[in-house]
Amino acid sequence: MNTHERDMKVTVQNKNGELTFDCGERESILYAGLRQGINLPFECATGTCGTCRARVTSGDVDVRWKDAPGGARLKPDKGDILMCQARARSDCLLRVPSELVIADTAGPAMRRGIIRGLRPLTNDVMHFDLHLTSPMSFQAGQFVVLEAAGIAGGRAYSMVNFANDVERLALVVKRKPGGRFGDLLFDNLSGEAEVEVFGPLGRAVFRPEEDRNFVCIAGGSGIAGMMSILECATQVDYFRNHKGALFFGVRTLADAFYLEQLSRYAAASHGNLDVTVALSDETIGAKLHAEFPILKLANGMVHEVAAKGMAEWDRNVIAYVAGPPIMVDSTIRSLIVGGIPIKDIRYDKFS
Amino acid sequence: MTWKRICEAAEIPENSVKKFEVDGVALVVVNYGEGFRAIPPICPHMEEPLAESGVVARCILTCTKHLWAWDLRTLEMQGETERPLKTYEVKQENGTLLANIEGELTYDFDDAAGDSDDDDFFK
Ligand SMILES: Cc1cc2nc3c(=O)[nH]c(=O)nc-3n(C[C@H](O)[C@H](O)[C@H](O)COP(=O)(O)OP(=O)(O)OC[C@H]3O[C@@H](n4cnc5c(N)ncnc54)[C@H](O)[C@@H]3O)c2cc1C
Ligand code: FES
Ligand code: FES
Repeated sequence: MNTHERDMKVTVQNKNGELTFDCGERESILYAGLRQGINLPFECATGTCGTCRARVTSGDVDVRWKDAPGGARLKPDKGDILMCQARARSDCLLRVPSELVIADTAGPAMRRGIIRGLRPLTNDVMHFDLHLTSPMSFQAGQFVVLEAAGIAGGRAYSMVNFANDVERLALVVKRKPGGRFGDLLFDNLSGEAEVEVFGPLGRAVFRPEEDRNFVCIAGGSGIAGMMSILECATQVDYFRNHKGALFFGVRTLADAFYLEQLSRYAAASHGNLDVTVALSDETIGAKLHAEFPILKLANGMVHEVAAKGMAEWDRNVIAYVAGPPIMVDSTIRSLIVGGIPIKDIRYDKFS
Repeated sequence: MTWKRICEAAEIPENSVKKFEVDGVALVVVNYGEGFRAIPPICPHMEEPLAESGVVARCILTCTKHLWAWDLRTLEMQGETERPLKTYEVKQENGTLLANIEGELTYDFDDAAGDSDDDDFFK
């Protein structure tokens, strides 16, 4: 934090009590609370999901992104805001609808980073590295939010690599038409760009000490966090005595990426990691990938391919799901119908 | 008691959530195998339409948006769910499903009456 800034006091209340934390002039109320270890409710941290809603009962806030889709059902006339999009302009009193506790683990923090090492993976997917000004530790499956000069708001990206105290985050972006961050990487970046980095964030994490078999179901760029999970699992030789499966959904085989790395994880897994690439818009007769025959191929939507592939599995697994919101919702539905308890489903919606 | 006809019970397959409008009151009916529940059509978490976001399996209704869930036999909240479901009483007569609808049940976040009970955000 820049010490020249004036700090506001933000008090959040819920029916069980209240907590007060400092909030700088230039940070969102959500990020201020999170970096001070307060478990304010959130999911996307970038204005799309609505989970961080709160009601301002006194004080003055500045709402940055007025049309944020996550705010569609809020009642601004009652003082409802998205904490990830609001800054405090005075001391404030807020109500939040969920229980509050102070975390005992290190929270996320704001850092700076430099984007380097761009590497196109398909015609609309770009791998990039983020070199941090101070090292960061995170759990496999977590994400960071990047803010670039000239682009309003933050963009969330899940880490692809895994290590403790890292100075380099490996990230991947799938370009969407008209997307400003995607355009920055694909078109306008000649060399390096400096960004602000907030994180790590996210609860869809892999912890080896949980000692469970797991399945990862990813749509498109949802593969990012799964790579981190598989990297972490491989580092601790988790597949020596656990089973794992990854279902990676893409439209056509040409849209798939990280296949070489995936085949290495499968090869190092003592036969216990099953990787299937599900093709939704292309029918392929082959059951195995020609170049990486340790990888299976299947036709169909990834949630259906995963449901079929998991039919024989014990229900005692942790399921990780990430990708576009519709894909995540359909997958969650089929996991629940398939008998996976909600406590074992961990997801990120790339909205 | 104002019992109103919703539909024939057979119109709602097991483990499905179906939307109805009964005398201007929108609701969803859930057939969870061991019985039926009639509830407001939106999730008490963030107002998602349960006819689309809801999934029923093993007598549990789960909203796929953020995994709030309720056991439909007891209405017990599951996992991290923080608000109870509201329900209309239902009964079957000769295969017809009826609900006791005295007025529309709403969750307080959708305080349409506009009263300024400033505690409504928490209920
Ligand atoms: C938890 C999570 C993890 C994600 N991980 C990945 C990943 O690993 N790889 C990947 O490709 N994508 C990921 N995404 C999606 C990613 O964050 C971007 O939405 C996507 O890359 C499109 O960004 P864009 O700038 O190209 O598109 P744009 O349409 O320009 O922007 C999309 C997003 O930027 C934010 N935004 C837009 N306008 C504003 C504004 N005026 N003010 C404030 N915010 C604004 C919103 O969050 C919006 O959804 C993830 C999303 C989430 C929520
Ligand atoms: S966390 Fe603020 S809208 Fe998703
Ligand atoms: S809207 Fe239903 S669980 Fe969040």
